[in-house]
Amino acid sequence: MRKRTGTSAWFLVPVALVAPAPAGATQYLKVEDAQKLAFPQADAFTPFAYAPTPEQRAAVDQAAHARATAGDPAIWRVTAAGQPMGWFIVDNVIGKVEHITYAVALGRDAAVRSLEILDYRETHGYEVRNAAWRRQFDGKSAHTPLEFGDDIKNISGATLSCRHLTDGVRRLLAIQDLVLR
Amino acid sequence: MKKTLVAALVASAFAATAHAADPAELEKRVDRLSDEIAALKAEIAKMKAEKAAAAQAAPAKPATIDIARATGEAPKMYEDVEKTTFFGYGELNYYRPTHDTSNTTADAARVVLGFEHRWNDRTRLVTELEWEHAVTSSEDQGESEVEQAYVEYQINQNLSTKTGLFLIPMGLLNEHHEPTQYYGVARNFVETAIIPTTWREGGLLLHGNHDSGLSWDAGISTGFDLSKWDATSTEGQESPLGSIHQELQLAKAKDLSGFGAINYRGVPGLLVGASLFSGKAGQGTPDFPAPDARVTLWDVHGRWTPGDWDIWGLYTRGHISDTANLNVTLVGNPTLVPEDFFGWYVSGAYKLWSKDEMSATPFLRYERYNTGWKYATLPAGLTPDALPTEGVWTAGLNFYLNPSVVFKMDYQKFKQDTTRDRFDLGVGYQF
Repeated sequence: MRKRTGTSAWFLVPVALVAPAPAGATQYLKVEDAQKLAFPQADAFTPFAYAPTPEQRAAVDQAAHARATAGDPAIWRVTAAGQPMGWFIVDNVIGKVEHITYAVALGRDAAVRSLEILDYRETHGYEVRNAAWRRQFDGKSAHTPLEFGDDIKNISGATLSCRHLTDGVRRLLAIQDLVLR
Repeated sequence: MKKTLVAALVASAFAATAHAADPAELEKRVDRLSDEIAALKAEIAKMKAEKAAAAQAAPAKPATIDIARATGEAPKMYEDVEKTTFFGYGELNYYRPTHDTSNTTADAARVVLGFEHRWNDRTRLVTELEWEHAVTSSEDQGESEVEQAYVEYQINQNLSTKTGLFLIPMGLLNEHHEPTQYYGVARNFVETAIIPTTWREGGLLLHGNHDSGLSWDAGISTGFDLSKWDATSTEGQESPLGSIHQELQLAKAKDLSGFGAINYRGVPGLLVGASLFSGKAGQGTPDFPAPDARVTLWDVHGRWTPGDWDIWGLYTRGHISDTANLNVTLVGNPTLVPEDFFGWYVSGAYKLWSKDEMSATPFLRYERYNTGWKYATLPAGLTPDALPTEGVWTAGLNFYLNPSVVFKMDYQKFKQDTTRDRFDLGVGYQF
């Protein structure tokens, strides 16, 4: 009897492979979940309409020294009992040919609290999801060095994704420093 | 302004009625009124023109409101539309043998165009088309190839499949062979002569990855065709497996192969991994003297990139079983089928200078490889001698104009066949 059960289970393997998977095969985290993960104590995420002046945009470009590749970010002001806790920002960068959607949480000190990959659509380079790699960004701010290769180590085989995410976070830190404060 | 105009006209009309008794005076007033109306008409026309000009100069209103900007909502998480994107890479090289400059060549070594078409968030097509050596015809040496053509299906967030013609996951170079991704003008010898980069097969591949940084591949595919072995040529000495691979060109597929790979990238800057490929190569060829011959190739590799340093290395070894009966029929020819072949290299690079997107990185590599390390024992002293193990030093510089464009130069020094010593220049790109 036990043997027969085992055999049946093996027949289920190909079924599992072709069965419809849950929605969002490339989506690893929803925005609301990422917000709670980054700021578990927060009780309000208030949307902030990001509309920089041309001068601010030029200043951000200069400070970020990397080209914007995927439009403006979406930004929330984070509070707990009316007290500011920081900022939560969702942004896109290009990996090789597809967008990577990621979220950066900035604390009251304007330093990175966490970086999460929300959506990864490329064939290669998914290794940027690795927690140890993402933790390299913790504590970085607009006033600390953030250069790919020097401050953020590469992942062999995922160079483009690593480089572009580093550029993206540097841009968000510049936005915080020059527009949000 | 319109109200002012009407009031002026009414006032003028009342005034004219009150003094209608004097015809001459009335005529003068009518003339004045006519002049005033003409002036007012001119003023109105001028105002209309100014208004039209102002409307033209003003920035157009956006056709749609940027909801994300206006409300702070998240950007759309998934672009659920079909989408085709193009990519490519290329390398153009100059090779100058230092002991025989008459063999100096310049070559458009590779120009590759590819595209990805995504049908939805879990299904996409990847195609890569390659031209080697610029011109392809019956009278030229160039080749045109389909390098990759597979359908990728994302089963879930940690599991995906490839079906079609894909690169075998082995070594450091085979899956990442774009010129911006390696040091030196030409690809290293070990991952050319022993692992036949760019090595692809047709089949099914299952890929898994874990958030810890561990990833694995497993699959079945077409394999090698040992009946293609040409003992009269030296091609088998240059690359034993490169001379019998099939590249899905009407590939003999009676004997399928299996493969697997495992890689760990859980520590930033570190990669360690290993891979294995094995399959029979007789392919049911009638009267073939090695029907059960099996080709096995494996490798271990590692890379450590702590900041500006980049250090990496690889060991690989291949084996072809049951070759004795085949080699007996080939005795007297220059190239018999080896039983064992191997190669390894260590390499280091240091980013010496960088400014904005530019950087200069010198590198040094030492590699040893032998494409005929051992041969199966044949009767009556017919066993061929093992080939000498070649060693190559390569020293050079990669100068990146930006991360996608690289200029290269190097010098290669051979230990055995010193006639191959050479100086190389190259330019490579990727987009």
